[in-house]
Amino acid sequence: MNDSVVRGAGLGVSLLYATAIGWLYVSQPQTVAQVTGGLASMVGAYEIDRQAFDDGLRFFRREQYSEARAAFARADSAERDARTQFYIAYSYYREGWGRVYNDDALFARGLAAVDKAIALAPGGRLVVDDVDLQMRSADELRGELQRGLTREAADFNPLKVFRSRK
Amino acid sequence: MSPGREAIVLPLLLLTVALLAGADIGTSVALVPPSLFSLVLATMLVVALVRSGALDPLRLLHGSRSPLANANGVVVLVALFAASAQVLAMLTPRSGLPLFFVDVLLFVLLLNTLVAEPDRVRLLRSLAVTLGSALILKFVVLAAVSNPSGGRMSRVVIALFDAATFGSITQEVQSPASGYLAFFATAIYLAALALLPAAAPRSTHGGLARRAPDALVPR
Repeated sequence: MNDSVVRGAGLGVSLLYATAIGWLYVSQPQTVAQVTGGLASMVGAYEIDRQAFDDGLRFFRREQYSEARAAFARADSAERDARTQFYIAYSYYREGWGRVYNDDALFARGLAAVDKAIALAPGGRLVVDDVDLQMRSADELRGELQRGLTREAADFNPLKVFRSRK
Repeated sequence: MSPGREAIVLPLLLLTVALLAGADIGTSVALVPPSLFSLVLATMLVVALVRSGALDPLRLLHGSRSPLANANGVVVLVALFAASAQVLAMLTPRSGLPLFFVDVLLFVLLLNTLVAEPDRVRLLRSLAVTLGSALILKFVVLAAVSNPSGGRMSRVVIALFDAATFGSITQEVQSPASGYLAFFATAIYLAALALLPAAAPRSTHGGLARRAPDALVPR
């Protein structure tokens, strides 16, 4: 074979391999699904499982949040879809919300999920067109989750019990 | 050196080492970038390879070569540096006194190698011994000292050892796969070093021996 062909092919393969390794170091995928999904999304070929997403949405509206998260995780196994991650974060918010106190562990997971959703959204802006939600943007949800995790004097206000879940 | 070895075999071997050596297997797999000190050690190692003749950079980068061949050479050099840094980081313990002593030991060994200027074969043998010893120290000795999953007696001995050394020796428990991965990464790395384009062998004789015999005879 011609030397130039070997050298050109070697250079191309090496650069591709080095790029893939660099991407692995930056994105730190934990599962094979995340690796394949991440590579697919790099070339714009990633799609969520629509059926599983619809199942998740149905569970979410019935307030079955654990079931909803399981379905959303199945729908977006590579964790590359901003909208699905938004719903996962919202499910943590609703499940963790309490009239007297919030569940900090669930709120922290919700915050991690909404941060992921914001990172995945183009330009970091994510607005979900869903009339059942009172917070339709990732920024609002993030703010609510952060406020829930912050300890402040207003937490001891007894009138707090009259607030409503969003 | 054949174009296939330079353009395909060496980059793929070295990049694979950079990938495998960076993998930290715990409850999940994380890819850990090399520490700053590993980069320093890797620089010293690459310089030692050049000075010993195990790597001749002129056979990878030179004005007389085509731009494509030089690009292949750059890839080999960058991959060699990345793989060296990752292997050294992988073989260094993660914390406590072992981290300090192994870092110092590797630094002194590489410095000594730079000063001694061994030839290619001796350098490769020396590296195999150094990396192999570090592998055994971290993945056999320290792993055994730090593993609490043995019987009651083993746990008591480990607890006493931990107390006696103020917890400065024991390391985080590693997955059994880590040792195997480190072994294969080190083996591939050493194989890749042996495949690097070497400089012409240096003469082992002194300057006088190279002179023509009649030049020494008084006229």
